Amino acid sequence: MSLMSMVRAEHLHKVFGRFTAVKDATFTVEKGEIVGFLGPNGAGKTTTMKMLTGYLPPTAGTGSIAGYDIIDKPLEARRHLGYMPENVPLYEDMRVYEYLEYRARLKGLYGSSVRQQIGWAIDRCGLEPKRKNLIRTLSKGYRQRTGLADALLGNPDLLILDEPTNGLDPNQIRQIRELIRSLAEEHTVILSTHILSEVEMICNKVIIIDQGVIKADDTPGNLTRGLRAAGRVSIEYKGELAPVVQALEAFAPVKKVIVEEPLPGGWNRLIVRAEPGTDTREKAAAIIAAHGYPMRHIYRHIPSLEDVFVEMTRRD
Amino acid sequence: MATDSETIKRRKSWFYTLYTIFSHELRTFLGTPFGWVLLACTMGLQGFWLQTVLQTMSKASGEGVMYYMLNNVNFWFYFIFIFPLITMRSMAEEERLGTLEGLLTAPVTTTQIVLGKYFAILLFYIVLWLPMMLYPWMSDLGNVYTSLRYDIDPVGNIDYRLADWIGPYLILWLSGMFFIALGILCSSLTRSQIISGILCTCLMIMYYFMGRVTELWGEFPAAPIFHYISCTEQISAFSRGLIDSRPAVLYITLTVLTLGLTKRIVDYRRWHR
Repeated sequence: MSLMSMVRAEHLHKVFGRFTAVKDATFTVEKGEIVGFLGPNGAGKTTTMKMLTGYLPPTAGTGSIAGYDIIDKPLEARRHLGYMPENVPLYEDMRVYEYLEYRARLKGLYGSSVRQQIGWAIDRCGLEPKRKNLIRTLSKGYRQRTGLADALLGNPDLLILDEPTNGLDPNQIRQIRELIRSLAEEHTVILSTHILSEVEMICNKVIIIDQGVIKADDTPGNLTRGLRAAGRVSIEYKGELAPVVQALEAFAPVKKVIVEEPLPGGWNRLIVRAEPGTDTREKAAAIIAAHGYPMRHIYRHIPSLEDVFVEMTRRD
Repeated sequence: MATDSETIKRRKSWFYTLYTIFSHELRTFLGTPFGWVLLACTMGLQGFWLQTVLQTMSKASGEGVMYYMLNNVNFWFYFIFIFPLITMRSMAEEERLGTLEGLLTAPVTTTQIVLGKYFAILLFYIVLWLPMMLYPWMSDLGNVYTSLRYDIDPVGNIDYRLADWIGPYLILWLSGMFFIALGILCSSLTRSQIISGILCTCLMIMYYFMGRVTELWGEFPAAPIFHYISCTEQISAFSRGLIDSRPAVLYITLTVLTLGLTKRIVDYRRWHR
C-alpha cells in the first residue's frame, strides 16, 4: 500500500456538448498529502473532483482511488472515499442524526459501528448541539459541518472536499481549517477553495487548473520560487529621480525600474523589478545613501500563492 | 482508537444497501404527513362512494361489494391520480436537491437506488389498499350485527367470499406494480416533480383509454391486443373472482422492462450532464 498513490488521475477528459471542461488532467496524490485544488470559477475543479468520485464518468481517461479504478471497480473505489459536494446537498426534512445514520448504513456500516462512527463524526465536527435538529433549520455553517461529518463516516482513506469553507464566516472558516488540519494526520485530503491563504496554511501540495488545463502541480514553496513577482522591491525616498533610476538600472539583476506617482511631501516611490531569487535591497539602499537622500521605506516582496495564482490564470 | 479502520464493522451485502434505501424511502411516506394525507384522502373517497356502491348493489346483486367498488367510474377518478402522487418525487426530488450525487458517490449502484425506491413505494401502495380490503369483511360483520340486533335477515345480504377479496387485491397489486414503475420512470426523466406528475398522469390516462378502444371501435383485427391490455376488463374479471395468469405475465414483464429502462435513464442522464 505504501508504494501506491492514493489518487491517480490519468488523462481525465470531460466534454459537455461542445464545451471541454477538463483537458487531459493527469496528476497523482500520495498518501497523507493535503492537496489544494485551485482555479478561477468554471476552471474545471468541480468537474475533475466529480470525475474522481465516480459521479461524472470521464469522456476519456481514467483514475484510481487507493488502487481501485474508478470505472472498472467504482464500488471499491467509493468505499475508500469520503466526498463532500459543493453546496452540500442534504435531505431537508431529516434530522442531523437520522441523516448521518442513513449515510453510515449506505456506506456499509452496521451494528454498533453505526452509532460509534456517527458519535465520532459528530464530535469531530462540533455538531453535538444540533444532532436532533431538522436539517432545514440549520445555518449554513452547520449544514457544511453535517456534510463534512457525512464525508468522515466510516473513516475513509481519502477525503474530497469541494469548497468546504464556502459561505462561512471567518470564525467558522478557522474551525473548519483546524478540523481539516487535524484530519490530515490519518487521511489524504483533496480540497478546492478560493481562499488562497487557507491553502498556504494547510496544504502541502497545490494543483492549479485553468480553463480545464492543469497549469501547476507542486508544493507551495516550489511554486512561489522563480516567480516574476519574486525579487520585486519597493522604495520610497526624497530626492531627484534620474540619478537613482539610472544607477539602479545599471545594476545587473535589475530588469526594470518603474517610477510611480510622487507621494505627498516630495517622496518618490520606485518599484524595482529584478531577477527572481535576488535581493537588490542592499545595493538600492547604498545608491540612495550615496546621494545623501533620505529614505523611509524599502521592502522586498515575498511572493504568495496569490501571485502564483494570478500569474497562472490571468487572461491579459 | 475507536476510529481504527480495522475495528469498523462493514457489510458488503447487496441487500443491506438495498434495504437501507428501501427503509429510508418508506420513511418519506410514513414518517411525514404526505403518506397519511394520501391514505386519509383515498379512504375518504372510498367511503364517500360507498353509498353509490350500495345503491347499485341493492338494485343488481350477484357480485361482491368489491366488484361494485372497482367497476365504477368513481374508482378511476382517484385510482389514476394515486400513481403520479406517490411516484413523482422519487427520482426528481433527489436530482433537484442534488442528493443523487451523495447516493452515487457512496458505494451504491443505480440498480439498488431504483429498486429500493420501487419496493418502498410498492409497499406503501399495498398499505394504501388495506382499509378497502376490510370492506367485504366489514359488510359481513354488518350482516351479523343486523341479524343479532334486530333479529332479521338483512335485505340485500352482502356475501363475504374469498374471491371477493383475493381477486381485486391481486389485480390492484399487479397493475399497481407496473404503474408505479411507470411513475418512477417519469420521475427519472426530470428534476421537476410537477413535470414528472403531469407526464405520469398523461401516460396513465392514455393506458386507461387504450383499454377502452374496443368499446368505441368494436372488434377489428388488432382488437385482441387492446382487450389484452385493458385494465378495466381485467379489473372486472378479477373482482368477480376470475383470476387469470395473462395479466400477471403482462404486468410483470412491463414492470421489469420499465425498471430496467429507468436504471438506464438515470445512468444516461449522469453521463450526459
